[in-house]
Amino acid sequence: MPVGWNRNKIIYDVVLLAAVVAYILLFIKIAPSFQDVTRPTTGIILRIQAFGTCAFLMLSFILCIGPLARLDRRFLPLLYNRRHFGVITCAVAFTHASQVVSIYFSFSPLDKYVAVLASNTSYDRFLGFPFETFGIFALFLLLVLAATSHDFWLRFLTPPIWKAIHISIYVAYAAIVCHIVLGSLLSKQSPLLAVIVGLSVVAVTGLHLVAGRIERQKDRSTAEDADETPWVMAGHVDDIADGRGIVVALEEGERVAVFRYGDKLSALANVCAHQNGPLGEGRIVDGYVTCPWHGFQYRPGDGCSPPPFTEKAATYRLRLDGQRILLDPRPNEPGTYVEPVRVTPTRETEA
Amino acid sequence: MAGRAPDPGFFIGYLNSVPRSLAIFLVVGAALFVGGMAGLAFALGTNANDPGDGAFARKLGKQEMTGVLLEKPYPILRVRPDANNPEPRTVMLTVPGKRSVERRGKKFFGQVVDVKGFMFQRGDIDMLQIQGKKSLQAAEAGEGEPPPAYTPAPAESLGRWRLIGEICDSKCHLGAMRPGDGLAHKACANLCISSGAPPIFVTQEEGAVAGETFLLLADEEGGPLPDSFRDYVAILVQLEGEVERLDDLLVFKVDIDRARVF
Repeated sequence: MPVGWNRNKIIYDVVLLAAVVAYILLFIKIAPSFQDVTRPTTGIILRIQAFGTCAFLMLSFILCIGPLARLDRRFLPLLYNRRHFGVITCAVAFTHASQVVSIYFSFSPLDKYVAVLASNTSYDRFLGFPFETFGIFALFLLLVLAATSHDFWLRFLTPPIWKAIHISIYVAYAAIVCHIVLGSLLSKQSPLLAVIVGLSVVAVTGLHLVAGRIERQKDRSTAEDADETPWVMAGHVDDIADGRGIVVALEEGERVAVFRYGDKLSALANVCAHQNGPLGEGRIVDGYVTCPWHGFQYRPGDGCSPPPFTEKAATYRLRLDGQRILLDPRPNEPGTYVEPVRVTPTRETEA
Repeated sequence: MAGRAPDPGFFIGYLNSVPRSLAIFLVVGAALFVGGMAGLAFALGTNANDPGDGAFARKLGKQEMTGVLLEKPYPILRVRPDANNPEPRTVMLTVPGKRSVERRGKKFFGQVVDVKGFMFQRGDIDMLQIQGKKSLQAAEAGEGEPPPAYTPAPAESLGRWRLIGEICDSKCHLGAMRPGDGLAHKACANLCISSGAPPIFVTQEEGAVAGETFLLLADEEGGPLPDSFRDYVAILVQLEGEVERLDDLLVFKVDIDRARVF
């Protein structure tokens, strides 16, 4: 099953938890022995700092996975279980927040949750701005994303809505950067933290800009019109290795994945119905188009997932003009069968 | 779905087999990730500012003092000299948690009282946390002795001062928390002061006034600060006002609304 537990997911989670445990233990148990201080930082404040910085680093890494996977396919396995990464990050951030509430906002006549909102109301000032507000907002988003991370919610909300909600991870990241800048960096208490936050922002934005630029370049090289409407040039038979696909960008901004499997060619929408993964960058596995993100599969002829799965992708008509592949850019209803085009192997592809 | 890996390099998560070259990449990446996180933890964990020497001095044991309990600007005790401490001194008072001494002390303000508790100390400033049963009560006379009496020395004016520093809550800054200052601690400091902890001004220059770095804050009339103090806590501000000496404690009487933020 694509979304159930498996060995790879368990290994992924074990590595994540090992990193979190190593981080927290080193921060609160080993590092204090090397501090040059008159008296050590209070234990719970050390834990607040440890869990807070850990959550920030994890979130930074999560946001880098997407563009890294676009730039280097070897990072795709990190994408596969990214939601577990997010849920663990949320748990770490929640621990940070609960410890903050338990020490900074407790023990007063005021209810501790009221105190969180009422203790600092200097919203009209930059220095001393209630930076906790950004943290609360980010934690709220992380909790919503963690709670809706299961595929049940993906099906229930439908992929477009689910994706729109989960894009808010970037808003959460921006809020956390504001939280750290206003709460810690302006106090000039840790130059190293300032450097790390700066590097994180540069890495996250830089990788997205580079990956986005590459994607835009792909979109700009749209398929040329063939001599006969509505057909467009999708490529050359020899451009597609057996079991693989190419991505054809249409003028309307759509992308189509054209797959070759044996002597057949079929075309599907490039968007996986699961999480919008790029089907054209997948492979034919056991006769099915297989998404490179989570392994969701579709029959190349009709775009339907094999039973009991119900996902469907739109199909497109193809025809050959010699060795040139022509594509009808008008999508068929998802799940519509289209007879595959048969190709005559050239010497090059036979070899 | 499919039951075997298709070709080297293509990863399908739900298949247990991972292409060898990819597996090597992932193992190295995982080691770097765990190692990198550990390295960052060590670097950030050791990169701490000195939170000072403030501490809850439980090792001193329970302290007992007799003196005049004053309400303003915040509950303080003008401690009567005795054989152990021949010099008069003034100690700021607190109770466990973020609460005011006022509830327990209101019927004793202006009177000579016996107090018991534990000290917070930072440098040469200290604070007594009143703690335990019968830890704040009217001073008892010894058998056959007259009721205890003590008249503290009047406040000594040290003139007007313009000082740069940070407003902190005395309890956290003196050791209830380390660090007990800075923006990360601002909301806590606001809550502590609002709940009754005396606010102190920590001068940027060490020993800025008569060798003292910590000054108890009051409004210009010698009362508690107005609520607008909250906007100026935990940031570098310049305050101007009269400084008075109460034994070993300096009181900085300021118009907080004229604070200048740096």
